[in-house]
Amino acid sequence: MRIILVGYGVVGKGVTTIIARRYLEKVKDYGFSPKIVAIADIDGAVINPRGLSPEKLEELKQRRAPTNPISADPDFGHPGMSALDVIESVEAEVVVEVTPVNIKNAEPALSHITKAFKTGKHVVTTNKGPLALAMPALTELAEYNNVYLRFSGTVGGGTPMLEFAKRCLAGDKILGIRGILNGTTNYILTEMPQNRVTFQEALTNAQKLGYAEREPSMDIDGFDTACKVVILANWVMNQKITLRDVDRTGIRDVSLQELDEAAKKGNTIKLIGSIENGKATVKPMEIPKNNPLCVSGVLNAITFFTEYAGEETLIGRGAGSMETASAVLRDLLDIRHKLANRLT
Amino acid sequence: MKTVMKFGGTSVATGENIRHVARLVTQHAKEDCRVAVVVSALAGVTNSLFEIACQAKKSDTKHIETVTQELRQKHLEAISTAIKSESIQKEVTEITEKTICELEKVLTGVCYVGELTPKSKDYVVSFGERLSAPIVWGAIKDYEGETQCFTGKEAGIVTDSNFGEAEPLMNYTTHLIRERIGPLFEKGVIPVVTGFIAANQDGIVTTVGRGGSDYTATILGAALEVDEVWIWTDVDGIMTADPKVIPSAKMLPELSYQEAAEMAIFGAKAMHPRALKPIIEAKIPVRIRSTLHPENPGTIITDAQSVKSTGAVKAVALIKDVAMVNVNGANMVGAPGSYAKVFEVLGKNNINIMMVSTAVSEANISMVIRRNIVGRALSTLEIALLGRGLVSEVTSEDDVAVVAVMGANMKGTLGIASKIFATVANAGINVRMIAQGSSELNISFVVKEKDGAAVVKAIHEEFKLDKI
Repeated sequence: MRIILVGYGVVGKGVTTIIARRYLEKVKDYGFSPKIVAIADIDGAVINPRGLSPEKLEELKQRRAPTNPISADPDFGHPGMSALDVIESVEAEVVVEVTPVNIKNAEPALSHITKAFKTGKHVVTTNKGPLALAMPALTELAEYNNVYLRFSGTVGGGTPMLEFAKRCLAGDKILGIRGILNGTTNYILTEMPQNRVTFQEALTNAQKLGYAEREPSMDIDGFDTACKVVILANWVMNQKITLRDVDRTGIRDVSLQELDEAAKKGNTIKLIGSIENGKATVKPMEIPKNNPLCVSGVLNAITFFTEYAGEETLIGRGAGSMETASAVLRDLLDIRHKLANRLT
Repeated sequence: MKTVMKFGGTSVATGENIRHVARLVTQHAKEDCRVAVVVSALAGVTNSLFEIACQAKKSDTKHIETVTQELRQKHLEAISTAIKSESIQKEVTEITEKTICELEKVLTGVCYVGELTPKSKDYVVSFGERLSAPIVWGAIKDYEGETQCFTGKEAGIVTDSNFGEAEPLMNYTTHLIRERIGPLFEKGVIPVVTGFIAANQDGIVTTVGRGGSDYTATILGAALEVDEVWIWTDVDGIMTADPKVIPSAKMLPELSYQEAAEMAIFGAKAMHPRALKPIIEAKIPVRIRSTLHPENPGTIITDAQSVKSTGAVKAVALIKDVAMVNVNGANMVGAPGSYAKVFEVLGKNNINIMMVSTAVSEANISMVIRRNIVGRALSTLEIALLGRGLVSEVTSEDDVAVVAVMGANMKGTLGIASKIFATVANAGINVRMIAQGSSELNISFVVKEKDGAAVVKAIHEEFKLDKI
């Protein structure tokens, strides 16, 4: 299967690593032989229609934009070639879209994905922006163009939250969802009572450790969680909502005092994303410490309330380049299986 | 003697060439010959029409003017050198301006509608021949030949509506050509007919696709019951090998239709089997000859009975830009339908297989395909077949070439294959794959690309093709 990788940040590099690693095992166990035929970065692309070799992928990883971009590769580099041109002109089955998230207008990822659809390519993305802003539109477009759109890396990172709900709980009715879907905020809310620090101190600390961005609004104002809630609502509960439909409150105003008061009742405060009674909400909520959902540090957790199977909780690391890359691989395998049935 | 003469794109590439063509035609006409002429578009024009049509489809108006301006320039220049008489020049220029103007309108139309159907593509592409034929006509007239210009449609070539690859309704076409061109032709008028293009029964322009102008020439030849069809080109004829690879390659004076069809893989320098169809039935010989050396008789392609017997091997070709795809799987052994599965997947996904070979052990199929689609072929086979029990591995080799050894008399001659492979072995070269159909006209095998030229050379020498 030929793959165009769009975006070459930590996740993009993780994808190349995971595809190159144990290649033969994939062929043997899954009948899956992935080939990265192009990588498009901001300032250009590398293209080899026969697939970039594992050695070449390793070599590319050593390059650093802007002084030494991948497009400077002497064998396969195309300096200045845009991702849209690559998607349009390079033959491939799948586009893996892993550019940075933008929740204002979802660009450039949104254009990348629609271009891929128009040229008959399936899409695997880890980018929440396009889904948060236009998920109903994108699923319709994918269906119309007879291609697949997969995005399991957007929620739960390597933890298969979306598949769990969609596949493992098939036949059951999911009545509601509650989850701790953002590692950064969960780290801060764990740190505050444990080390007796204010929100601001905990945030600064998280930034030092690399858990929080220098511009932290995406996480602490609940946007990231809200994006994931949108994706869950669309994919799992078939609710055609977008980011604007989510009632969202961040954790800036959570004080140490509130946390202490909660602790007295055996509770703690977590940033919870939920879909209950058709309403999508993100807000800090008090939950019992012994609730399975109550995980600490950067962990994520999600509980599905189902009609027959009761409450099901999934816990796992919600982010990280290799974790997210593993979700990409999962999606690629899924598409491969669906395609195999279609081609014969 | 009655002939149809077809001139390809390079033969009419410039005004000078066209003047040369007109001289050849009128010379022959004066020697008590009846000549009908079929012309291709000026070299490169069909391609640029095709490209601009695709650009226009993307609603890109910018390029239309530049491209039509270029085309106008190119043809006006050709007119000024091909034709000396001012009055004829003026006449042809007027036709050209009118045609270019029409082309501009058509392209603008495509641009506005943003759609390029096979039908409109045929129409756009037809302008190449519509522009070249009047210039040839004018040049012949300049040499005081009595002549008349026809489009394929006016000449009476009626096809089905399979745009881009239209098939003539041969009997109806023959009837119309005899009616419209026959009497003039018999009188000694030289009809100049646009190659490649025709029309369906409703008069909508079509193109005949593969075989191109050669096909038009043979259709015309069969209808006018000529003695020979002459395909004028820039090579002396069909050679025993590509002279670029084998400098000592010789021109083949005679070939049978069947052999010529086998040699279609020689590419543009040979004839497409489709173009041979109309004349095989009518047993009209085709002569391939060079405008650069009109004194040479060229290669004559004719009925097998009249081809005098020569050596078993006639020619050896090297086919590059191919790749070998191997499908392996122990489970294919003895499993009915396993080959069908492989071919079905490729066929369904529009991948043409050039050559196939499998051993009776059945554990492996090797195929040769064009190199530019090997990525798609591999990916398709892997996605469709790997991991499902039947196929365990799909591999490819890019750096290969096919060597094809051809000749009608190979059939039934013992020891040809052993001689070929002994020659290859003596050159120290490994054969990767072999195929021979039971028609025995052709043995094809695959070697590494870097060895291709050496193999062709060795076989060429072994069968003494440079001494025919």
